[in-house]
Amino acid sequence: MIERGGYLPGLSVDEVEWQALYFDGVGSKFEIQVPLLSEDQVRTLTTSVRNAARTKLKAMPVAQIIEIIDCAINRLLDRNDPYRKKCEEILPLVTGYDAEMIRLGLTGYLKTFRKPELQKFLVEDFANPTILDDFQPVPKGGYARAYGPDLLTHIWSGNVPGLPIWSMISGLLVKAGNIGKVPSAEPLFAGWFAEAIAAVAPEISDCFAVVWWKGGNTRLESILLEGSEAVLAYGGNDALKSMRDRTPITTRFLAYGHKVGFGMISKDALDIQKGKLNAHKAAYDVMRYDQHGCYSPHVFFVERGGKVSPREFAEYLAHELDVFESKYPRRSLSDGDLNNIAAWRNEEEIKSFDDPAGGLIGSAGKSWSVAFVDHTERLSPSSLNRTIKVVAVDALAEVVPLIAPYKTTLQTVGISASPDQLFNLSNSLALSGVTRVSALGCMTKPEAGWHHDGRFNLLDLVTLTEIEQSAIDGADTLATFVD
Amino acid sequence: MNFEGKVVLVTGSGRGIGAAIARAFAAEGASVAINYLKNSEAADEVVTACCTEVGDALAFKADVTVGEAVDDLVSNVLENFGKIDVLVNNAFKPYTFDQENRKMFWELDWSDYQAQIDGALMSAHGVCKAVLPGMRRRSNGAIINVATDLVARPSIPYHEYTTAKSALIGFSRNLAVELGPLGIRVNCVAPGLVYPTEGTVNTKEMIKDTISMQTPLGRIARPEDVAGPVLFLASSWSEFMTGQTLYVDGGLVMN
Repeated sequence: MIERGGYLPGLSVDEVEWQALYFDGVGSKFEIQVPLLSEDQVRTLTTSVRNAARTKLKAMPVAQIIEIIDCAINRLLDRNDPYRKKCEEILPLVTGYDAEMIRLGLTGYLKTFRKPELQKFLVEDFANPTILDDFQPVPKGGYARAYGPDLLTHIWSGNVPGLPIWSMISGLLVKAGNIGKVPSAEPLFAGWFAEAIAAVAPEISDCFAVVWWKGGNTRLESILLEGSEAVLAYGGNDALKSMRDRTPITTRFLAYGHKVGFGMISKDALDIQKGKLNAHKAAYDVMRYDQHGCYSPHVFFVERGGKVSPREFAEYLAHELDVFESKYPRRSLSDGDLNNIAAWRNEEEIKSFDDPAGGLIGSAGKSWSVAFVDHTERLSPSSLNRTIKVVAVDALAEVVPLIAPYKTTLQTVGISASPDQLFNLSNSLALSGVTRVSALGCMTKPEAGWHHDGRFNLLDLVTLTEIEQSAIDGADTLATFVD
Repeated sequence: MNFEGKVVLVTGSGRGIGAAIARAFAAEGASVAINYLKNSEAADEVVTACCTEVGDALAFKADVTVGEAVDDLVSNVLENFGKIDVLVNNAFKPYTFDQENRKMFWELDWSDYQAQIDGALMSAHGVCKAVLPGMRRRSNGAIINVATDLVARPSIPYHEYTTAKSALIGFSRNLAVELGPLGIRVNCVAPGLVYPTEGTVNTKEMIKDTISMQTPLGRIARPEDVAGPVLFLASSWSEFMTGQTLYVDGGLVMN
């Protein structure tokens, strides 16, 4: 079976050159054809998508756009729908993630984009969402209307399946023309979503496109960047910097770089029952997408003084990860990934020579690694793929200086603590750079309308055009009904 | 079942059922720690027998009813083998199974019970505690406690012996619940009458015949019969079993 990636309105299959990408399927290599676009084709797409969005999407009420997205999402949630079937069959082959993890992950993720959730999405950023449809009165006086960019470019990364639709939906809600570039690691889902939208609403089927090129193809990328009013880019800081440098100064460049998450467990959450339950939830957060999400945890700071000690918590966590391996096996890793894990284990083992109570839990042959550290240690990124560190602290407040060096890369913290502690800690954490506090077990499942990296998903994309009161007053003097 | 690279400690394995269990583990490639109380000659024979198999073995003298001795035993095993993957609590206070001359209930003092409880339960408690830190560190381990089918069917009321073994099963079930979330499994094997062992060497033929006749598989157990289920419970073949008791008595007890 050969699957084609991308979504190219106005270009027939024959007009495009295709390149094969190979993935390790079950028993055989799995082939995906991705479009090798010429510079002219990219230029044509930027023009056609921009023009289509200007004439069609911008004229459509936001409520109607929500209906369209809701319809497409419901198709992707329906396990009998051909697109959903493709997701369930092909995404595990392409990403290597466990099929059940993907199936459940997709459902949990997609359902946050149904109509009621999209309405939340809108009101998170716009007190009055009809400001996207027409000029609306504003508190300072006068009227304002929000306009999305004519062309919004998305440069997606491939860490978590399905993630591209977050930004694409944001683009659609502000009535932008959207062109998204998919990564080689997962070049399919965004195209399927685009097709699903087009199937639901053929009238806007040319208002978006999904393209591919090999990472580092700055020539094609620059054409797209130069033709856009706004760019949403995901990836490592070096890649983001390169893109930003090639983006015109007049284009809004919104970068989402790599992030580090961690967890905090208070002694109040460490009685025998809650301790085990929290270890289960913590393991769940580690297991989901093998820590490749920006919201994934890398360290759990565990407070001493509970009935379950930090060391015991680490042991429970280890077993929970072992159990998850049967239910949601870790994806098969490259030699490079395996070497990284071996190096991480080695380093932790050497460090434990000075920390008799600390050290690795579990043997090297497992699909997970847990290191326990019985002294104060700063936050550090894990080696991914289910490698996690448990650091014992006397009080959770001690964690704040331990995360300080990562201020610019912090995002999600999973916390289990009393209400007072939660709010007090949240303030200190926010000052240290944290933008999202969730419960343990929910770190990888942000709420609908979440402000990604603390930013406004929709508000950051729009510009407001204001009609000031003076203009209205002046106009009134020219009205035909003036006495 | 391949136990290569695995370290197994079998208490009371200088002879009888324990020795058969030790040899079976060695035959599957394990390194076996042979614990014995007095008879070093017998223990050395088991070590020699084990070393002719795929695995290897060392003998460790220790009274597993004495706390300090247990700690020394476990540290010696760890010093020699580096870890303990499997613990088989097989030791018990010497007991003669003599149907004709057993003590009746009114002839027994609490001290008789206490002796058996110390032999079966206190020893298991001590050794389990001592091996636990290592098993927890590896998030992996199997503990097998040797009980008796008399717990389910006390055809002959060996009060103090069977009561102690009943306690061992209750102990094991609780431990299984506690240690399951840490990746450690605890199970029991409950043999029927096993011949020959030191405790049964004088058992009368008539009794053996009577039991054999009531047993679906038509005979009484040999020490080697007990080894199979112990190895099974120690292996990954039983990785989703904990808190269980396997009866090894040819079907005399069916639970």
